[in-house]
Amino acid sequence: MAELPAPRSAADDTLTVACREFVELVTEHLEGTLPADVERAIAAHLELCDPCVIYLEQMRSTAAALRTLPAPTLPPPARERLLGVFSALHGRPEDRPAD
Amino acid sequence: MPQQESGPSAVAAAVLEGGSPAQAELLERLRAGNRAAFAELVDAWSPMLLRVARCHVSTAASAEEVVQDTWLAVIRQLDRFEGRSSLRTWVFRILENQARTRGVRESRSVPWSSVFTDGAEGHGPTVDPGRFRGPEDRWPGGWSPAGRPTAWEPPPEDAAMAAEIRRELRTALDELPARQRTVVELRDVHGLSSDEVCERLGLSPGNQRILLHRGRARLRTRLEDVYRATTGEGERRG
Repeated sequence: MAELPAPRSAADDTLTVACREFVELVTEHLEGTLPADVERAIAAHLELCDPCVIYLEQMRSTAAALRTLPAPTLPPPARERLLGVFSALHGRPEDRPAD
Repeated sequence: MPQQESGPSAVAAAVLEGGSPAQAELLERLRAGNRAAFAELVDAWSPMLLRVARCHVSTAASAEEVVQDTWLAVIRQLDRFEGRSSLRTWVFRILENQARTRGVRESRSVPWSSVFTDGAEGHGPTVDPGRFRGPEDRWPGGWSPAGRPTAWEPPPEDAAMAAEIRRELRTALDELPARQRTVVELRDVHGLSSDEVCERLGLSPGNQRILLHRGRARLRTRLEDVYRATTGEGERRG
């Protein structure tokens, strides 16, 4: 994943994460697929950074909101077409094709 | 809409075991061209048929075509249906066949393996770099005062969320690049696990996460725009 900004090592060799990096790691964080040291750096970052806590919450919210979208339906013209074909084939028995 | 009595619930009769008197009676009504009974089935089952179809094909438009083809097959084969299973089982079996055939055809034409060679949708930051502090700043890469996100109230998944926000989310989802949209739909709208999505689409777990990330981030930005527009000027509710 070359495009993700890499968390940097601080002077004492612990990882730190900037906000700009966190926003690209947030999905991996939610999926639980990050290495332990990166997770620790994120936890430390979130303790101090309210905007990133909000950002994380918004990504979580976005996924949750998708679950609430109404069930898909056929577009009304498609529905009407189907009813038309139904009536054409079954509406009058004498008109039905042999099939 | 022309009014026509559909009689006893077509949907209720259609889930009964094959061979039941109620099913026989429903088949008779359908074969006699009872439009209301047929419409009842179309309206009741199309949402679920669309969801099932969506898992086999790569776009919402394809899923719609699969469902329409399924209903057309039902109409054409109605007279040949022997009624050994329930009508619903029969209809869903037709759908599975249609969707699978179509899905196989599409997987040949949708080059999932080339997701990250076509540049546009696989690279670059997902948040406008202008919202962060520059490298010379005391906190490089931190949110700038104007760039930091503000909490959404009420959150978009809340039942009280305005219909307008839901519509916007639906539109934004439909406008995502195809691969991002498919992954986001399967994961977030339909609730499939990452393993299921990877298997279905032939994606590596890492690429699946990138598509999910980029898709969700884009949708978050759209929602943010909506919240900003509605809270920015005066009150947004009432």
